[in-house]
Amino acid sequence: MANISIRNVSKSYGALNVLRPFSLEIENGEFVVLVGPSGCGKSTMLKILAGLEPATEGQIFIGDREVTDLAPGDRDIAMVFQNYALYPHLTVRQNIGFGLKMRGTDKTEIDRRVDDAARILEVTPYLDRKPKDLSGGQRQRVALGRAIVRQPQAFLMDEPLSNLDAKLRVHMRAEIGALHKRIGVTTVYVTHDQVEAMTMADRVVIMQGGLIQQIAAPDELFNNPANLFVAGFIGSPGMNFLNAELRDGQLTAFGQQISLPRATTHQGPVVVGLRPEHLTLGEGPVTFSVRPTLVESLGSEKYVYFEAEGARIADGEDSKSKGLIARVSHSGALPRNEEIRLGFDPAQLYLFNFKTGERL
Amino acid sequence: MKRTFAQSLALYATVIFTLLMILFPVYWLVVTALSTTNELYRLPPTFWPTDPQWDIFARVWAAKPILMWLWNSMLAAVGSVALSMLVSVSAGYALSRYSMRGGATMGLFVLTAKMLPATLLVIPLFSIFSSFGLIGSLWTLVLAHSTMIIPFATWMLKGYFDTIPKELEQAAMVDGCSPIGAMVRVVLPIATPGLAATALYAFVLSWADYAYARTFLVNSPDNWTANLGITTMQGEYVTYWNDISAASVFIALPIIAIYLFLERYLVGGLTAGAEK
Repeated sequence: MANISIRNVSKSYGALNVLRPFSLEIENGEFVVLVGPSGCGKSTMLKILAGLEPATEGQIFIGDREVTDLAPGDRDIAMVFQNYALYPHLTVRQNIGFGLKMRGTDKTEIDRRVDDAARILEVTPYLDRKPKDLSGGQRQRVALGRAIVRQPQAFLMDEPLSNLDAKLRVHMRAEIGALHKRIGVTTVYVTHDQVEAMTMADRVVIMQGGLIQQIAAPDELFNNPANLFVAGFIGSPGMNFLNAELRDGQLTAFGQQISLPRATTHQGPVVVGLRPEHLTLGEGPVTFSVRPTLVESLGSEKYVYFEAEGARIADGEDSKSKGLIARVSHSGALPRNEEIRLGFDPAQLYLFNFKTGERL
Repeated sequence: MKRTFAQSLALYATVIFTLLMILFPVYWLVVTALSTTNELYRLPPTFWPTDPQWDIFARVWAAKPILMWLWNSMLAAVGSVALSMLVSVSAGYALSRYSMRGGATMGLFVLTAKMLPATLLVIPLFSIFSSFGLIGSLWTLVLAHSTMIIPFATWMLKGYFDTIPKELEQAAMVDGCSPIGAMVRVVLPIATPGLAATALYAFVLSWADYAYARTFLVNSPDNWTANLGITTMQGEYVTYWNDISAASVFIALPIIAIYLFLERYLVGGLTAGAEK
């Protein structure tokens, strides 16, 4: 186990910068998730960390050792791939033991450690099968087994759950979390799924366009997003955004003047953020009337879609409603196109700079 | 989906027609071998000899050095396969995995070499081989056949390597393999069906050659290949087609045997299970 230090690592293909200077200090035993939309550079960063792609600039340290120019096999890391990358011509036992064999480990030692790993991951009954005879979840476990058997300094995981069906994904997510708690190896995990990032990480690194947007613990990201992108990316459904006007601490939105509880000196146009779950049915400190364009029922709660002046679609957000969403607890019927009252507390509004998107 | 009777009929008719087209020459070869010389020239032809000459195979085997010819063909084919596979595996793998400046153009250029007819290459090859003193040696066939095989085999193998996910080598490298080690330990075992198909193609191409053997080996009877040997059985005044056909049956047998042997490796789907 070791800490990982990534110092000003960048990657470009000719004029195309896929990764802007990236620096990150990962503590020994920490579980760090790199998350972002596709093409944000998260997988590239992981491959550079693994040694599968060279960095254009920068340095990487694992423990006290600089590994920037070392071959993948010399970095003492293990990697779990999105498509598992199990060797199809080898049995599960040989797959798990392959890395040890390559390092010249003694045969009896390999057997002992493969058996241990198989027991931890509950794949002992399948040790003599080929990967093609396993289910998706079993293959994923074997891929994890191949990683833990080597007792490496760090685990690198590249979207390991995205090939699994929804139910199994939730199950394996918990298993990977439990596995990390049990063996405590420093882990860097790449995903595009913010739910995975939020549930698994000690710290989350949110990336977009090759740039780090924010590095923070999951709750901190949710409560204090650094900019519009992070605010829109974290949370499901995503945060509502409205273009509004701010004058002398008075915000003009939802057709009324709203006094902001927090003092702000900013004047002029701003983007207002309001999480769907902070909207309630009925009266609140600020109340307005809407006609829902769509109501989706999830049983105990409902997603109420409505239109409002100045509504703005966040980057990457699907725009099916072209409007705002309220996530309300209500089990009765909510007819569409019939006026309802929604309320919220202005203390829960987020304000962002209209031009830069930075949080005010 | 269940087939209707008419669909079944059409399907089987097509299969039978195709089989007839393919197998009729083979059948005719056997019939020719078994017929007497007189019967061969009879019109209309008979579709099964009235008096099959089963002893013809033993007679031809005793009269002609067929075993030596087969052995020479085998040496030339095995040599060509070995040399071409060595080159094509490396080249195909490089074209599949590494992007290099002009890589695609180079790949296409390799393929154009395949489009040159053998008769065009035979003259420069002859002059090269004679300056190395190789004329009359089986090495000429190994080298000449490789020039025919390598371009196409490289592309066949590139196509096969393209179907193998890169993550397998990446996993092998993280597990401690060098890039060459990852290829040898992971990619090549998985590519067995592709390698077998390519090797078979190479073998058949070399085995079927006549033009090069005729040009480079005609004055060295001890190195004659089977195809070249058979054509020498054609007489100036009389040709015993039944003898030639019997010898041809002997020459076809090794190819059939090799197909049967390699068939199990030709079955694809070995990569099933590498990915979801």
